Amino acid sequence: MNSIEILPVVIAAVFCLLGIGIYALLVTRNLIKVVVALQIMVKGALLALVAAGRLAGNVDLGQSMALTVIVADTIVAVVGLALAVQIRRHFGTLDLKSIATLRK
Amino acid sequence: MLSTLILLSIGIPWFGAFLLWLAGDGKPRLQHSLAVMFALGGGAAALAMIPLASSEVALVIPVGAVFGDFTFIADGLGVFLAAVAAVIGSLAVIFSVDYMHGEHQLSRYYAFVLFFIGGMVGLVLTSNLLLMFFFWEITALCSYALISFHNDDPKAVAGGMKALVITQLGGIGLLLGALLLFAHTGNYDITALLANPGILPAGMLAFMAFGALAAAAAKSAQFPFQTWLPDAMEAPTPISALIHAATMVNAGVYLLARFYPAFKDVPYWPLAVMLVGVITALMAALMALSANDLKRVLAYSTVSQLGYMVYAVGAGGIFAAQFHLFSHAIFKALLFLSAGAVIHAVGTRDMREMGGLGRQMPLTRAVFVTGALALAGLPIFNGSWSKELVLEAGLKAAEAGGTLWMYILMVITAGLTALYTFRMVAMVFYGQPRTERHVHDAGAAMKVALVPLALATLVSWLAVGPFSRLLDEHTLPYHHLEAEPTLVWLKEVLAWPTLIVLAVVAAGILAWFGREKLAGITQFLRGLNWAASNSFGFEAVNRAVVAAVGWLAEKLRAFQTGQLNWNIFGLAAALVVVLAILLAGA
Repeated sequence: MNSIEILPVVIAAVFCLLGIGIYALLVTRNLIKVVVALQIMVKGALLALVAAGRLAGNVDLGQSMALTVIVADTIVAVVGLALAVQIRRHFGTLDLKSIATLRK
Repeated sequence: MLSTLILLSIGIPWFGAFLLWLAGDGKPRLQHSLAVMFALGGGAAALAMIPLASSEVALVIPVGAVFGDFTFIADGLGVFLAAVAAVIGSLAVIFSVDYMHGEHQLSRYYAFVLFFIGGMVGLVLTSNLLLMFFFWEITALCSYALISFHNDDPKAVAGGMKALVITQLGGIGLLLGALLLFAHTGNYDITALLANPGILPAGMLAFMAFGALAAAAAKSAQFPFQTWLPDAMEAPTPISALIHAATMVNAGVYLLARFYPAFKDVPYWPLAVMLVGVITALMAALMALSANDLKRVLAYSTVSQLGYMVYAVGAGGIFAAQFHLFSHAIFKALLFLSAGAVIHAVGTRDMREMGGLGRQMPLTRAVFVTGALALAGLPIFNGSWSKELVLEAGLKAAEAGGTLWMYILMVITAGLTALYTFRMVAMVFYGQPRTERHVHDAGAAMKVALVPLALATLVSWLAVGPFSRLLDEHTLPYHHLEAEPTLVWLKEVLAWPTLIVLAVVAAGILAWFGREKLAGITQFLRGLNWAASNSFGFEAVNRAVVAAVGWLAEKLRAFQTGQLNWNIFGLAAALVVVLAILLAGA
């Protein structure tokens, strides 16, 4: 199977992942689920990076960018989950609506 | 050599600001001496640039394609203003040693003063419009921080905010102009625009020209933005002398003068500039006449004198505008600093509580009166000569373009200037003391700052010849200014229109001494006085704008739900819109 045929599948996967992530961010009110949704979106972006590298004929660059993003993304997930733990301890809930103190 | 000096004149004050910030509070002696040392260093570097002025690019700092190269040109106009900023900056810092004695948080004070001096020097030396905008905003930031230096005083904080908001509003005009220039030429090079304004389409050039006028009006406290300067008088007095009289408020005049070759053929632009100057000068002079706060009188007179400079630029008298700027920077810094000595001694700014101070403060009276006579426009003081040059430029423009009524208004304003100046001097230094207070004369550091300024007020007009050589075609190739020896200039000034102006000035002085006899007229003018003391309704307009913005912001809070889902929705919607625009464009 060569790259021309696999490309539509990859792009479809990218849009699916991004769409699922955005949909989840729009509807969920649970902080853990927000972190999960962000992770799903970033996985879509990773796939797009690798595909773009392949398309541009610069596979190495695309993959190394993807690896860099994986590292950064892991940190985001760790910090996000740590925040979630602290928020749970502080507020006693993970519901976004009840921890939204920005507008008071 | 020149490039080193440019870096030094910006870098020394900035490094000093950094050191002072590091030094921290609680060591006043160290702070005072550090500040004086670095301010003097910057002043020396700026002065050393004057003989080397040239129109060549002296320093290039490559920073990549997006911002264009950061270029610096030390031409006549630039080095002159850099020297004014750095030298008067040094004197203001020396004066502060006495004036700010015993204040807390001196680090913050001196760090911002030095940061300002470096920023102002950079502003006038750069030839990259974007970099100029950065420096422009640095000076605005320092002005804000120093007006609000006493940040436990609500009036000072409000004055600082007002200054910041109004000057930022005008700054948008400058930024838009810079972006337009970049959009059409691919760089921010001012020299290229001055050499050939045709690189921009006529409409864009007009937009840029009026944007620059708005920026200049906001910075130089010109109509309709003049309201911030009087409120900026909450700043410590050396700051008022440095930033709000001698340097930063001149940046607007500098901007107009710098771009004059590019904008002079834009339809109605010179006329608009002159009109702004005339309205401001007249209105501010009337307000100065009705004010009772010593620093406010000086602030209004600054606004009025800046109006003269703006008027001169519009009339094509670039040299006259810059020479008046030079004189004004000296005598107004002197007036503010000696007013600072008075306020420091008396402890109030209300002139109604002063009076008869001359006997207790002889030196302060002598230097203050020197500055006041220059402001009033009496011959042998520098203000008179430069004001004559401004009015002559106005008369030439009137002969060419039928703006004689503007000239007449400016001459009348000269009379009003003399009137309010004599009123101020009389209320502060002469007559009977109105309060019982033990008053001491200016301290040693204050005298060190005051006396050179007073001497310069007496003799700086003799430098008109060398000054015109500094600004001639070698250093400003697009302005077409001519260098003449001093005597030629003086002969030019001593023509018949000067006599009319001097007569009007004398009438203004006589009006003060004969005010008892003129009581009938002053009754008649009470309505005008009332309007002037209410700043002709501009404060009300300001308050209305603030209220409207507050109301709108309160309504817009509905969009600020603080909930993640709505924010994500906003992001996604914006993404869709951007993609749609891109697709439609493709």
